[in-house]
Amino acid sequence: MNRDKLSEPCPKMEYIRNCAVDLCVEIAGISMKNPVMVASGTFGFGEEYAKIYDINRLGAVVTKGITLLPRHGNPPPRLCETPAGLLNSVGLENPGVERFIREEWPRLKKLPVPVIVNIDGDTVEEYREIAKRLSELNGLAALEVNISCPNVEKGGIAFGQDPGSAYEVVRAVKEAATLPVIAKLSPNVTSIQKIAAAVESAGADAVSLINTVLGMAVDIDRQRPVFKRIFAGLSGPAVKPIALRMVWEAYEAVKIPVIGMGGISTWRDAVEFILAGASAVAVGTAGFIDPEAPLKIIDGLEKYLVECSICESALKTSGEDKTIKLRDIVGLAHKNFTEGDFS
Amino acid sequence: MERKGDILAGLLFSTKVIQNVLIAYDIYHMKICCPEVAEKAAPGQFLHIRCSDGPTPLLRRPISIAGANEKDGTVEMVYRVLGEGTRLISQKKAGEILDVMGPLGRGFPVPLDAVDPVLIGGGVGVAPLLYLAQKIAGPLSRSGRSGAAFIGFSTAGEVFGVDFLKSCGFTVFLTTDDGTAGQKGVPTEAFENCIKGHEVQKQFDIVYACGPKPFLAKVKDAAVRGKIPAYLSLEERMACGVGACLGCAVKSAGEGYKKVCRDGPVFEAGEIQL
Repeated sequence: MNRDKLSEPCPKMEYIRNCAVDLCVEIAGISMKNPVMVASGTFGFGEEYAKIYDINRLGAVVTKGITLLPRHGNPPPRLCETPAGLLNSVGLENPGVERFIREEWPRLKKLPVPVIVNIDGDTVEEYREIAKRLSELNGLAALEVNISCPNVEKGGIAFGQDPGSAYEVVRAVKEAATLPVIAKLSPNVTSIQKIAAAVESAGADAVSLINTVLGMAVDIDRQRPVFKRIFAGLSGPAVKPIALRMVWEAYEAVKIPVIGMGGISTWRDAVEFILAGASAVAVGTAGFIDPEAPLKIIDGLEKYLVECSICESALKTSGEDKTIKLRDIVGLAHKNFTEGDFS
Repeated sequence: MERKGDILAGLLFSTKVIQNVLIAYDIYHMKICCPEVAEKAAPGQFLHIRCSDGPTPLLRRPISIAGANEKDGTVEMVYRVLGEGTRLISQKKAGEILDVMGPLGRGFPVPLDAVDPVLIGGGVGVAPLLYLAQKIAGPLSRSGRSGAAFIGFSTAGEVFGVDFLKSCGFTVFLTTDDGTAGQKGVPTEAFENCIKGHEVQKQFDIVYACGPKPFLAKVKDAAVRGKIPAYLSLEERMACGVGACLGCAVKSAGEGYKKVCRDGPVFEAGEIQL
């Protein structure tokens, strides 16, 4: 290339230098500095990963699911690796709401990051009680109502597979809680749109999806199922296309924000979910392999916003405000599909 | 590898492989350069190793530390190729990069007083005992005490660690299932015969063991009968390795489950049900 040409300022680079990126999102009234959260059940109560990286950089923290009374969880084995995936049958092992408040909350409430507590119950009444109890906590950002756990005898997924009972649980929590309510949905349903619409009409402030996909494994040496509960929940990159499809569907079915999760491992995955309609994303299993995956995704999103075509189109149209906003690309793939030409 | 802040004092490292050689049937000896781990590691702790850059095999593999040298910053592991993950680790060549997390877990308590220790290992379970032997070799010779190691393998081709344990001052009792090396039998029986005085009567103050669960259950029974405190290192499949996913559960002696990665992998025998 001609040396003179190199010394000329590149208009695009000049533009990039001048523009700011805004990753902020607001979901269910929770202000997050970026859209990257950690998924419930993959992050404990934050203590373990706080020793490994700066968890204050996360958009939000979602705790392991808690129940009214302590639970021991399922007997081992609880894990089985599958191609690009992980089956788990942990079974909601948790210290119960009172011990959570006593032992985990004092540390969690000091985090400068919104903390969302995932709650589960066997009965509508249990969901109601736990929601009421947690609403007394000062500084808690929101409740995530787990109506999708596949690894327990009662409750969990049973509530999330029928629009009527999904409505009932979310309604009860909404009435009992003074906090924003996020409904965590199961992929193990015929119509995610019906479930999403039901929880929206029950007053949910957002939906999060997907929980794990029901699967199983057989032990060929012992010639019996690997897990005592036979079925287990599949997560990891293997479920990503399923999760993405359901986020796309949920985005079309409801007006409340959609939080997307399921196999997100890289910033590219996160961008796909956001374009498909997710206002925020959560990283789960990927954090087991690379604990810093959520941070790498935050950095990647920032670079993507600067470098992608959004930037180019902004370049053509932008006026005074040179801030590129992540929230402007939420669901953009829907618009581009409708307006675009696929022939 | 530099990391910022004290919370990042270091659990994630991109290390260089120095050596990775086959030392017995399906058993590899790997040496990596990681001064941070070499400095902090305790016997019984493990490293969580990434075996692939892609999504399959997905999870890291927990591998116990078999040796560490603070002076040259090296860390050693002895591992068995069991599946695709460990097969990929075995293909790493000197000079290549290995992504490790650690040192993780609770290790063996190293005795401060003069004691006569006994090590009992089955198969690749001998690996963490090598590091323990390295750590207690000095105190052992200074205090004039003696240690014994009962180690067992299925066949002669799988034997490793005998010379190393001897060099650390341990009397080694070797067994193989098929009798092709040492005595025919299993190390738990050899140990029990020893404390019962069937062959050479010997009393021990503390038991350290690592191997499969049924093997550890036998060690525990023998230690309880001999009224000797015992520390058992468990092998378990793991996902996160740090206590977040609750996947590697073992039944607690009390209620509920302990997590092998965080509460172990070394447990006092009375803490768990095998």
